[in-house]
Amino acid sequence: PQNLKCVTHNLRKMVCTWDISSKRRHGQTEFCYTIDDVIPKCFKTKEKKVEIPVPGSSTTVKITTYSISGTAFATRHFEIHKKDISFVPLAPRILSLTPDFSTSTLTLKWSDNGSAFPYGLDASWEIEILRKETMEDVTRESYNSKLTHEDIIHSWNWKSDMPLECTSHYARIRHYINITQFDGHKDWSDWSPVEVVPGKDTEPSGSGLFPQDTVVAVGSNVTFCCVHEEGRQVQRMSYGAKDYPLIRLSSRSSAIRVLNASASDASGTNIVCRMSENGMDGTVLFVGYGPDTPEDLSCETSNFVIIKCTWKPGRASGLYGVRGTKYSLIESISGKNVSCEVNEMKKERVCGFPVLADQKTYSFVLGVSNPIGQTEASLLVDLNQRVNPETPEKLTVSENSSTSVRLRWFINGSFAEIRLLCQIEISSAHSEQKLHNVSMPGGKFSTYTAQLNALHPYTKYRFRVRCSAADHFWRWSDWSGTEEHTTLEA
Amino acid sequence: MAAADIPSAALRHHDLCSRGIRLARKMRSDVTDLLDIYVERQGLDASISVAAVDGVPAAAAERWAEQSGTQRLLDNLAAYRAFRTLLAQMLEEQREQLGDADAELGPALAAVLLQVSAFAYHLEELLELESRGAPAEEGSEPPAPPRLSLFEQKLRGLGVLRELAQWAVRSVRDLRQLAKHGPGTTLEGSGTALGLPESQ
Repeated sequence: PQNLKCVTHNLRKMVCTWDISSKRRHGQTEFCYTIDDVIPKCFKTKEKKVEIPVPGSSTTVKITTYSISGTAFATRHFEIHKKDISFVPLAPRILSLTPDFSTSTLTLKWSDNGSAFPYGLDASWEIEILRKETMEDVTRESYNSKLTHEDIIHSWNWKSDMPLECTSHYARIRHYINITQFDGHKDWSDWSPVEVVPGKDTEPSGSGLFPQDTVVAVGSNVTFCCVHEEGRQVQRMSYGAKDYPLIRLSSRSSAIRVLNASASDASGTNIVCRMSENGMDGTVLFVGYGPDTPEDLSCETSNFVIIKCTWKPGRASGLYGVRGTKYSLIESISGKNVSCEVNEMKKERVCGFPVLADQKTYSFVLGVSNPIGQTEASLLVDLNQRVNPETPEKLTVSENSSTSVRLRWFINGSFAEIRLLCQIEISSAHSEQKLHNVSMPGGKFSTYTAQLNALHPYTKYRFRVRCSAADHFWRWSDWSGTEEHTTLEA
Repeated sequence: MAAADIPSAALRHHDLCSRGIRLARKMRSDVTDLLDIYVERQGLDASISVAAVDGVPAAAAERWAEQSGTQRLLDNLAAYRAFRTLLAQMLEEQREQLGDADAELGPALAAVLLQVSAFAYHLEELLELESRGAPAEEGSEPPAPPRLSLFEQKLRGLGVLRELAQWAVRSVRDLRQLAKHGPGTTLEGSGTALGLPESQ
């Protein structure tokens, strides 16, 4: 007997193996061992392998080989110290390998079998992804964890650079446990058995061009694959108007790789796969931008019925229709949420939110999203400080005397909560244009009046009016229409 | 039908036929323009071949020359009713896919849809004159469009428009035949099929 090697998988038991140098046919082997100077134990085996406890410090071993007739013909003694023992954890077992075809992501779950080891050991894992019929290595990635003397299920995601439908993807895992207090040699476990996510090219009727009708950001690299029936050949694959070199994935799947994709038209870029026997398949790729964070978000009310928020959208996303950018206005105090109708082609962005009873302050979050990304902008508004009244209407002038008139106008809105400041512009041919300010309590969809004195008799005047909030000026309303009036003769 | 009425029925028939021919010609040229816009806006290769599209009536007809006037009208009416549904589906799909970004294809599609609807109505009038009456439309709700990928949708739209262009050509010929032979006549003749040039 020679080359005695002992390997432990769990620090408690170890498997010892040896070779027999002689070519002579032999019968059983007697294996005797003494652990930590306790009384020896022996047993016979036909194997060249035994499992015995891991010693605290050392083990002496005597191996005797017997001939077929039972006579001993070779005996050998060995001294095994802790440092001679190798620690190789058992190969891990994958619990599940789950594909998410919509995101081309694989999710690997496995148990770390931590209960077999003392608390707090550092474990390193290597996960290997393979692909195609030939199981080519795609990537090998590391993952670290701590063993907690319990069996913990770990989950690890990997996003493929090509649709998972294109061809079969395989995964396997191995690990290394860094037991600092173990003197012997430490090594990686074997690889776990391989888990597979079959590609469409393994399904009897599997075919199609993938990914199907997807959206990516400008600058992305995208792999398209054409899966077809057995016996057909892909002759060419084009992206837009340009043919691309074919990459063979399997006998039923070929791919092209588009790098740094540029923005597509509104109807998307067509990817066409032309096959033998007039076969053709196609898909559409939409390439655009994620939404920019809205700038200059501003909210005001012109009537205390609706709050109108406006903003600058930033760069156009290049995505339209069902893929267009969606806006929603969330008011976090009331929890109310409004989705905004927006025309992507128009520069102006407006969204209306109802004024809520008994709520003065509004904490708005403008949520913006499209298939590529999302962002938001927020704004805290005291509505009384953001009043931009509707344009005064139905301005009328009635005379009081030769030097005074009474103006009346209507404002569409509910301003009962605030005071209004209105400015009357007085123009006449003979004198300079004057502005007369008057403030008054706001009303609810009501008519307002103001008296103008110290006018010239029998003089033709032109009046118009605009209003704003008196206490917290925000913006003037537009001017009302002009009303002409000639004062009475003196 | 009183004696005085026959000439006016024939006159009305001839008027309807000639107006129908003008409508079909206009439709033909508008559909051709629409095809160019469609191919360009959808990023398609103009030479791309499209298999026969389910639900789209084929313009090419066996034994075209032997068809009676009524049969011609019935075939035409069935086709344009089908195109009316198909174009409405296409319009809906364009709005969904392109939204605000489409200032050209949608309006052009809508215009052709209007013409197809008008032509279908026109055919119904001709059938009335044939004292035959137009068949009722099958059920109120058109069949739901098949679930297609976007590329298949684009090809299907191309197939619909190409076939509609063929039908516009055939309709001109059908109406010419009708105009020649007056209302309510059947035709015998050698068995020639109406082969229509493969229009691009």
